[in-house]
Amino acid sequence: MTKLLTTPARTRRSTRGLPQGTIPAIIIGLYVLVAVIGPMFVFYDPVITSVGDRLLPPGSVSAAGEPRPLGTDGVGRDMLGQLIYGARTSLIIGVSVVGISAVVGVLLGTMAGYFSGWADVSISRLIDVLLAFPGILLAIIIAGVLDRSMLVVILALSVANWIGFARLSRGIALSFRERPWVDAARLVGVPSPLLLLRHIIPFVIGPVAALATTEFALAILSEAGLSFLGLGLPPSSVSWGQTIAIGRSYLGSAWWVSAFPGIALSGLVISAGLLGDRLTARLTGDRR
Amino acid sequence: MPITFRTRLMAGAAAIVTAASLAACTTTSGPTLAEDQELAVGVQYPIENLDPHGASSQDAGTQLAAEAIFSQLVNTVGPGKFEGELAESWEPNDDASVWTFTLRDGLTFSDDSPLTSADVAASFERVLALAGPLSSNFKGFTVAAPDDKTVVFTAPGPEPALLGKLQLFVVTPADVDENSFGEPIGSGPFVVDEFVPGSTLRLVPNPNYWGEEPTLDVLELRTIPEIAARMTALQTGEIQVAWGMPDDQVAMLRENADLQVEAIETNAVMTMWMNSSTPAIADPAVRRALWQAVDFETIITSLFPETGSPADSVVAPTVLGYAPQEPVAYDPDAAKEALEDAGFDFSTTLRFQYSQPQFAEVTQAVASDLAKIGVKVDVLEKEQAVFLEDLLALNWDINIQMIGSQGFDAATNVGRLYPCAAHRTGYCNEELDALLASAGSTGDVEKREEYYAQAIEIIWNDAVGMYPMFTRLAYAWNKNVDGLVLAPDGRPGFASVTISASN
Repeated sequence: MTKLLTTPARTRRSTRGLPQGTIPAIIIGLYVLVAVIGPMFVFYDPVITSVGDRLLPPGSVSAAGEPRPLGTDGVGRDMLGQLIYGARTSLIIGVSVVGISAVVGVLLGTMAGYFSGWADVSISRLIDVLLAFPGILLAIIIAGVLDRSMLVVILALSVANWIGFARLSRGIALSFRERPWVDAARLVGVPSPLLLLRHIIPFVIGPVAALATTEFALAILSEAGLSFLGLGLPPSSVSWGQTIAIGRSYLGSAWWVSAFPGIALSGLVISAGLLGDRLTARLTGDRR
Repeated sequence: MPITFRTRLMAGAAAIVTAASLAACTTTSGPTLAEDQELAVGVQYPIENLDPHGASSQDAGTQLAAEAIFSQLVNTVGPGKFEGELAESWEPNDDASVWTFTLRDGLTFSDDSPLTSADVAASFERVLALAGPLSSNFKGFTVAAPDDKTVVFTAPGPEPALLGKLQLFVVTPADVDENSFGEPIGSGPFVVDEFVPGSTLRLVPNPNYWGEEPTLDVLELRTIPEIAARMTALQTGEIQVAWGMPDDQVAMLRENADLQVEAIETNAVMTMWMNSSTPAIADPAVRRALWQAVDFETIITSLFPETGSPADSVVAPTVLGYAPQEPVAYDPDAAKEALEDAGFDFSTTLRFQYSQPQFAEVTQAVASDLAKIGVKVDVLEKEQAVFLEDLLALNWDINIQMIGSQGFDAATNVGRLYPCAAHRTGYCNEELDALLASAGSTGDVEKREEYYAQAIEIIWNDAVGMYPMFTRLAYAWNKNVDGLVLAPDGRPGFASVTISASN
């Protein structure tokens, strides 16, 4: 009983030592590390199959004598290689989507908030229209109509993703345009673009960074979703979503095909989500 | 239970008899029938429409339903062998261009109206008038009904393979239109009790069936497209019969003591046409080299251990016209050399298209083997409609399909797909055209076999496609289901099914 009572105190103390959000940040760092340097150590080509080695359980060795620590899939491809190269794909897509969305969203949002009038009306209505569609549905339509490629996936996911950034930065810009120093700058004659850049956007960056982390997790999840549906990346590239989809038909006999990419995906998405929550609490708290 | 081809009377009865003797361990007098004679069947494709004559006449779902609801004139029981259903006897004229069928006595539809030759003729004319996929088999045909029991089909030229082509032609009452197929009137073993398009078809026995009335009280065909869901339903007993499982699932089902699993020979051949109208692979030497570069033996033993065996011809051994050829041996080095000698442009990317998920792994394996000798292949999974459109437009370089020979006759496969005028493979050869024309214009079985043998040799040696594998179709059913008549075309017969009490 005493032990039970003392445990929370100890936990609290230990988390106080580290800034909150360190653990998810370390986990994400590991994913980045794997994505960047993993391919230098593990060779994997999705085109090369080896059907004789199909569905080897984790810890096996292929006919050619190569280790297959996480087993192989239905056409004998290395699962470890798929995880590593899949991490690279997921991170590239996550970063690109968030990057594009953040730039577009912040630009349009601050403009709408700062200039109000027609700029605000048109941008806000555009946002309302896009909000009426579920984002993933829009992405499915775009990815379904166009040929499968990484660029299309990034575009399809960015189309609905910038809205969050735009709404956030519009709100902030709307409140900051009334602040004395902004008025002062305007009266001194600072041109609008420079004023936005110098006096408004710096205050937007913090909350946007927090939002970006959360959106990063969602973008990765959406890419996996699209690839799972067969609308995402072409079969010649590696994607966790694709691997999970392939493994669906082996759930009863070869659990490892779906399980490992599933675990990798959840690990990354949960960590990014937690980190996003932490950042939101820290960065948006300072604003007022 | 022995493998029985789809025959209504003889084989069906034989299946019941053997099942009875097998089950004799439970009781001394054969199996006791369960009180509930209800059979639920898991079907992988949707049954959207019950009209067997029009646009959906070649849909697998419609064909499966038509098999239970309607009757056809004759039924195949093997290569070139047929048995009467509605027809009692049939007779071609000397050059096989005029075929006279005599119907059985006392045929009636499920609504008690008599089935006469006028219904047969009207059904046939309806097929032609609707111009659906089925009608392409009967271009230029006319039909007449000189008396109540006689039907005469007149073809524009010799038509020795007519019986095979009539396999998918079923007879409906003369006065049907597209609204008659909600609860259609037929002459098959079952009638429709309830039909939810795309989902379930509930059938009950037809008391007016010309054969022995089914013992089953209810036959329900349920569409379960997802393979994993279908397998779970089979293992939990929600459905009692399923077929068309991939090899991995077959192996798993074999371990289940409640299930019986049987893979039967079909007449389908895994066919990978190489588009001869694509400049890069127009040279037969190039196509032969590509074929040689793929290790099909390993692919078949690893991916299709249950349902595949190496092929040695363009059509299956059970088909009239089959002629074994020299197998193409795997030799990547020779293949690469041959490609270099033929001046193959290694910078071209070949478009390899498929539509059914069952081909996902084999296409990847083939692409991998070709990549090993430096041939770039882009594997394209296409939606069925897009796939068909591209297939007919020759908008592909390699295409994979299972191609069967309807009615066990090479005429419906080689004769239909390989003439220049068919424009299906990009390949055109006058010598082959002449052989196919000769084979299609004579009624003499031996001569036709000889012509087809020569034609197949040309197709094989010029590598119009790769023909790596004969296929089997896996059926799995609950052990208390007896008398199921397995069919190589995925249209099993349920008329003689009985359900024994579980022990």
